[in-house]
Amino acid sequence: MSGFALSRRSLIGAGIGGATLVGLGGLPAAAGQTRLRMFWWGAKERAERTDKVNQLYLGSHPDMTIASETLGWTDYWARLATQTAGRNAPDVLQMDYRYIFEYARRGALLPLDAYVPKALNLSDFSPAAVDSGKVDGKIYGVSLGLNSTAMVYDKGLIQSLGLKEPVWNMTWNEIGDLAAEITKAAKRDGFTGMEDGGGNEPLLEVWLAQRGKSLYTAEGKVGYDDKDMTEWLAFWSDMRKRGASAAPDVQALDRGEIDSNLLSLGKIAMTFAHSNQLVGFQAINKSKLGLSTFPDGGQGAKPGQYLKPAMMWSVSAQSKQAEAAVQLVSYFIADTEAGKLLGVERGVPASSAVRNVVTPMLDDLGRAMVDYISLISDKVGPLPPPPPRGAGEIQAVLRRVNEQVGFGRLTPADGAKQFVAEASAVLARG
Amino acid sequence: MAAAHTPETSWRESATGYLFLAPWLIGFFGLTLGPALVSLYLSFTDYDLLSNPRWVGAANYVRIATSDPKFSAAMHVTFLYVALSVPLKLAFALLVAMMLNRGLRGLPLYRAIFYLPSLIGASVAVSVLWRQVFSGDGLLNQALKLVGIHGPSWISNPDTALYTLVALAVWQFGSPMIIFLAGLRQIPKDVYEAAEIDGASRSQQFWRITLPLLTPVLFFNLVVQTIDAFKAFTPAFIISGGTGGPIDSTLFYTLYLYQEAFAYFRMGYASALAWVLVVIIAVFTALSFLTSRYWVHYDG
Amino acid sequence: MVDLAGQDGVTPPRDGRRRALLYHVVLCLASIAMLYPLLWMLASSFKPDSDIFGDASLWPRHFSLAAYWRGWSGLQVTFGRFFLNSLVVSLCSVVGNVMSCSLAAYAFARLKFRGQKFWFALMLGTLMLPYHVTLIPQYILFLNLDWVDTFLPLIVPKFLAVDAFFIFLLVQFFRSIPRELDEAAMIDGCGPWRIYWIVILPLSIPALATAAIFTFIWTWDDFFGPLIYLNDMNSYTVQLGLRSFVDSTGKSDWGALFAMSTLTLLPLFVFFLFFQRLLIDGIATTGLKG
Repeated sequence: MSGFALSRRSLIGAGIGGATLVGLGGLPAAAGQTRLRMFWWGAKERAERTDKVNQLYLGSHPDMTIASETLGWTDYWARLATQTAGRNAPDVLQMDYRYIFEYARRGALLPLDAYVPKALNLSDFSPAAVDSGKVDGKIYGVSLGLNSTAMVYDKGLIQSLGLKEPVWNMTWNEIGDLAAEITKAAKRDGFTGMEDGGGNEPLLEVWLAQRGKSLYTAEGKVGYDDKDMTEWLAFWSDMRKRGASAAPDVQALDRGEIDSNLLSLGKIAMTFAHSNQLVGFQAINKSKLGLSTFPDGGQGAKPGQYLKPAMMWSVSAQSKQAEAAVQLVSYFIADTEAGKLLGVERGVPASSAVRNVVTPMLDDLGRAMVDYISLISDKVGPLPPPPPRGAGEIQAVLRRVNEQVGFGRLTPADGAKQFVAEASAVLARG
Repeated sequence: MAAAHTPETSWRESATGYLFLAPWLIGFFGLTLGPALVSLYLSFTDYDLLSNPRWVGAANYVRIATSDPKFSAAMHVTFLYVALSVPLKLAFALLVAMMLNRGLRGLPLYRAIFYLPSLIGASVAVSVLWRQVFSGDGLLNQALKLVGIHGPSWISNPDTALYTLVALAVWQFGSPMIIFLAGLRQIPKDVYEAAEIDGASRSQQFWRITLPLLTPVLFFNLVVQTIDAFKAFTPAFIISGGTGGPIDSTLFYTLYLYQEAFAYFRMGYASALAWVLVVIIAVFTALSFLTSRYWVHYDG
Repeated sequence: MVDLAGQDGVTPPRDGRRRALLYHVVLCLASIAMLYPLLWMLASSFKPDSDIFGDASLWPRHFSLAAYWRGWSGLQVTFGRFFLNSLVVSLCSVVGNVMSCSLAAYAFARLKFRGQKFWFALMLGTLMLPYHVTLIPQYILFLNLDWVDTFLPLIVPKFLAVDAFFIFLLVQFFRSIPRELDEAAMIDGCGPWRIYWIVILPLSIPALATAAIFTFIWTWDDFFGPLIYLNDMNSYTVQLGLRSFVDSTGKSDWGALFAMSTLTLLPLFVFFLFFQRLLIDGIATTGLKG
């Protein structure tokens, strides 16, 4: 009996000891090795794929170790900001189009131009794909996948209602009519054809671009005026009145994430999102989903959408092994073997060579994403002027003002005036 | 506070006091004070986390006092939340603690069940569920329908969203309940026996024995819950997804502070906001302590 | 139940059994309301992902244990590791917190020393500062100590009574212990250390149990500390492990999240059930005289 007790205790002791060893001391890296830290956001599937690529890379680089760190989107930015502020940033880090300007302009990222083409192989990237990682003319990010704004819609439902699925050349009004028809045909309490897009910044950006405007001017001011915004807010006000898009108290359930999106909650049939999110949406929706463009500007309009990186690799300006970090980045984006392992999980590969290898291996969802990118490739416009400092706050202002109009606290005209004033003030503050 | 030092407080006594206090003192000077002072310094700077802080004098405080509409919005939300959630939560916790402080069968199980909501804390499960209970076609409205009331979508309506967060706070009443229970358990049984012999009724026993003897614990719960409610962050963060919406109706003070610090890279301004909050909380805490001598009874 | 509803409010005081039954009915109804979310989480852990959202039913239509399997061993590190890490951090925290906070609380509640009021006010003051703004200076501090990516930033503060909540809690309880007991012990020749050890601590078992319960649960549930300080997945705590299933912008594994969330509650529940015994029994046996 006592023998058993002893062995059990020592077992537990060993277990705790092991955990404490890792926890308290960390794992010592063998002498003479290059140890790279790599950090990205994502969930399980991305972790598995990324890990496989790292293992493959280490197979041909026995002198290296890669320490991978991973978190979900929200947590990622809090930790990255803390680590960067503490001068302890990871060597290789995943960047988002929205944040790259903030980080690059504050000197947190390494400009990569000097590493092209030797360490960083961008030969199979289109010039547009290379440009999408540039800030103020220098390369700070390398696209891990092409992406664009896209409408995700409930294909199964629209088909079962006997209605026409949305297609790429439908105008704003046509989409609105379709949404109203869906509302009418579905006959469900609190259900509407599409989301209220009035507070959706990427959607506004497309709408503005179609009329030759933009969210920001090249000088870093707001690129629209009261009149534009009145029209925009009035359009959505009308959509709500017609029952084509979600009522304000339904729309407010959406917190800007896939799980709280009204499509996932079964409240709408069409939502405005990004093409690489199709997989995430499909995973929690029972009905079959489809992908289409944002509404068209109609006759004589300029292109509204543009290709942007779904996510990028960047290298920290604090990295002490920049050369090795850049080589690893290059392997991820240019190597076909790595590409096969990554698939289109982070978006459609920007390198044409990798894309050619990957495309035949894809399932339906993956193919839908690739098809979508090729469908819009000849319809997209150039990159808009970059967001100035402080621009991140404006999407919250837009959301709030659209809610104020939706809940009847402001008229579209007053809302427009307030929005332009607040957005200008935000940019002035920086 | 137990009597201030008198001339008789010998150095020997003082030394003993400081010896007991040593771990805390080391922690305070080693881990707490430095970061607090740094944040005080940062509140006088423009600091974007990624580049070096730049001294701007009192500019951040001036902006808070004169030209920040979001500050007043956040203040309004926070005060309302404190005023509603603290008394409700404490009343509920005390009521349940009294109910569970009896010799009934199965009470340990009930105690555990009532504590369970506080165990899950602020998780994804809670955020999804709160939506399912308080949205337009949620459980609450289905129940209201039975009595002929057509309720709004509570959680996503700017007039009612805050109340769903108050409900969340009250639902997670576990910690003050446990503290009340521990307090009730420390009241000696023979006090009640003596009262019963004197013929005191149950309600008399409550007002004359239970409540007075419970005041130190009640005071603790009041102070701590008030501080916590002023600093409430996670409920709004998980329910509104960090937006504080709809129309800033759940923009708690610390949520606003967090947005400024980590979403918009204004750590200097956020630090100033934090210190303004410290002052506000300190005033309330000081008031509680000043009035406590009239209603808190130590040393039963 | 029908019978009881009619009796509500007019229960004769001597009818103890009816009263007890009424209690049980009220408590049962309240329990169901309290438990609904947890039951939903439990049900969700058996549902396929596409059935989780927009469905409030408590009974999964397709019952499957797959999410548990995926959750336990789906990440690069098994969940058992996270449990072990959380257990180490939480248990160390309980020991550290109860020890250091009871020492400080005893000083504040029972001893007299110069500057006592000042330190007490400062101690309370540390409760008031939102942690978001001290996070980065603290991170830099721990980075310089070379403690980042270890458990030390999570455990050492507990041994140094950094969470003033617990000091204040224990102060309030210590102060309601009758002073005559100290004085009696002092007459018997006990110094402050012995009084702390043989009078105050034994009489405060409920309060200490409360502190232990809270420390364990809050440390177990904490994710912000681990989020900032632990980088290596081998050292992740359960809360970080849980968050690894979800990415709000991409594809998440909700089933695995809810399955592991359910498992994660078990140790908390067990810990609570065990310690609440101390909380309840502690004082009943001491026969304390008021």
